[in-house]
Amino acid sequence: MPVDPVLLLLDATAQALTLLLVASGLAVTFGLVGVINLAHGELLMAGAYTALALDRAGLGFWAGLALAPLFVGLLGLLLDLLVVRRLRERPLDTLLATWAAALVIRQTVVALFGPASHTIQPPIEGSVLVLGAPYPAYRLLVMALALLVTGLLTWLLFATRVGLMIRGTVADRTLAAASGLAVRRLDAAAFAFGAALAGLAGAATAPLLSIDPQMGLGYLLPAFLAVLVAPAGGPVGTAVGAALVGGGESLVSAFASPVVAQLAVLGGAAVLLRRVAGRRAGRER
Amino acid sequence: MPTTRRRALAGALATTVLATRTPATARPARAQGPAVKVGAVLEFSGGLELFGQQAKLGLDLAAAEINAAGGILGRPVELLYEDNKTDPKTAVEKASRLIARDEVLAICGPITSSARDAMAPTMARGRTPLLYATNYEGGACGRYIFCFNTVPNQELAKLVPYLARTKGARFYCFGADYVWPQRMFQHARKLVEGLGGTILGEELAPFGVKEFAPVIRRIEASGAQVLLFALPGADGITFIRQAEDLGLLKKLTVGFLGFSEAYLGAFGPGRGQDMYVAVPFVAAAEATGPKEFVARIRARAGRDAVVSHYVMTHWLALTALARALEKVGRIDREAVVEGLEGLTVEAPTGPVTIGAKDHHVTLAMFLAKTQGDQLVTVEALGPQAPEAGCA
Repeated sequence: MPVDPVLLLLDATAQALTLLLVASGLAVTFGLVGVINLAHGELLMAGAYTALALDRAGLGFWAGLALAPLFVGLLGLLLDLLVVRRLRERPLDTLLATWAAALVIRQTVVALFGPASHTIQPPIEGSVLVLGAPYPAYRLLVMALALLVTGLLTWLLFATRVGLMIRGTVADRTLAAASGLAVRRLDAAAFAFGAALAGLAGAATAPLLSIDPQMGLGYLLPAFLAVLVAPAGGPVGTAVGAALVGGGESLVSAFASPVVAQLAVLGGAAVLLRRVAGRRAGRER
Repeated sequence: MPTTRRRALAGALATTVLATRTPATARPARAQGPAVKVGAVLEFSGGLELFGQQAKLGLDLAAAEINAAGGILGRPVELLYEDNKTDPKTAVEKASRLIARDEVLAICGPITSSARDAMAPTMARGRTPLLYATNYEGGACGRYIFCFNTVPNQELAKLVPYLARTKGARFYCFGADYVWPQRMFQHARKLVEGLGGTILGEELAPFGVKEFAPVIRRIEASGAQVLLFALPGADGITFIRQAEDLGLLKKLTVGFLGFSEAYLGAFGPGRGQDMYVAVPFVAAAEATGPKEFVARIRARAGRDAVVSHYVMTHWLALTALARALEKVGRIDREAVVEGLEGLTVEAPTGPVTIGAKDHHVTLAMFLAKTQGDQLVTVEALGPQAPEAGCA
């Protein structure tokens, strides 16, 4: 009995959109601010644990979903204050320092919540019929949230004054500073905002998987790949990247083993990255 | 030196004192002399701390019990813990230091096969026994290695026929992409095919996959009645979570290889029910042995302490070491090896015998399943001998 193709497409869409949600924070911190933040996965994990803690405290899932971005945004601000802004001119050291921050966050969570896995129940149970195929309602909600976040991010960057300032700083830092923009404060704000998005993604995906201190690791690679293979910066580019990486992996693993799927995605990404690098080099010449 | 009357008297007195002192040293809690140092290289950070902590519960209890009973040949046992950070290289460094600097008698641990394989040459070179107490794929053999937990045949020999008989003979295998699941599935294939059943598919997943929907669809479409599942840790919980959400668990029965009490509570109330496993220890057992063992652990570690078979096997490793030295009557590294070979130790679940040649254990096994928020015994399987895979 073959698998219903509608389900395959839904699964691929779900994986692509979940990855979009997970990568959107990275698209801001890495894509815009240019910080290689290896603690991105741990920020997601912090979001998931925020949801877990509030769920356990009896406040329910929605409180967690609302508060996770705030809490993780503050964590991002702290990370910027202590680590990122001090290493702004040394990207390779940032890589090491954020990796260290990731270790600190991970072991702090082990100390607070223990090393074991936890799960939380989805706030909405049951399935909805999509094109005649039953699909878990909560997954559909996460997909909708990913689209909503991407829409809001696009609006924020391209239709607001803050977005204009951020884009200005990205385009030419010196000129932006000379024009009187508080570039450092903008950096910090953008980094914290990226962290807040990670927190939101962590809380939103929490009911779908195991919540544990190591969960951030599995997110890091696909999220970076999605941002790297994005044909253009900004939320829409990230969406294309996430579709290629997440959707691609899902579709390949519908027909081959997950190992083959991951290899195929890595191989595909390597080819794409070479082409992107080539294109950039060509443009600079 | 001529024997004067005074000297003779002094000698006689000394003898009397010694004679009355001797039983005193064997009296509980009076272990004397330099401590017998035993190392423990375990995963206390870096990913597998859950299992490192389980191992420590068992080792701590064993050490306390040995010392309360007068130590090993009158000397107290002292455990030197080292964190290998879930990293083979660190495990080797810590083992070398314990052997050379601390001159430990033996080392307990680690949890992962990669750390164990990395440590094995160091242990052999240092002529120091490694007491490994985690279930694994088999094949770790040598004079200086002893294994106190199960190998694939012990977990599968009764589990697979039971599932085939009660749930159906169409199997699907899904696990993590490393040696333990591969060996488990090799062994399971032999068993399933020997029973006239079929394996409809066998798949392995890399570490850290977050989305299992495509695999879940394929397993469902295969029409399998039993899923043999060997994806340990958090990835396994993610899979079960999604399999439940996508309706797979209603269509088949899961044989969750490597499951233990350490997973309980991760799925949420009413979730992850009726998953089967064969284990050497069930904490919720009704028998007095396991019940008392759990009570002893919880008296030390708290009422809510999780007690899995890892606690029992690590307790077993250190307890066996003490019995081995008492049997030989000497305390040195070679005495550990000599004493352990062929030794039978009374465990909470009954007698455990260490193979004189293969250094693996024959021990009682239990078919168990998840029910409510517990792992409950379905059937006591009796003692199972290991197929250790030693050439």
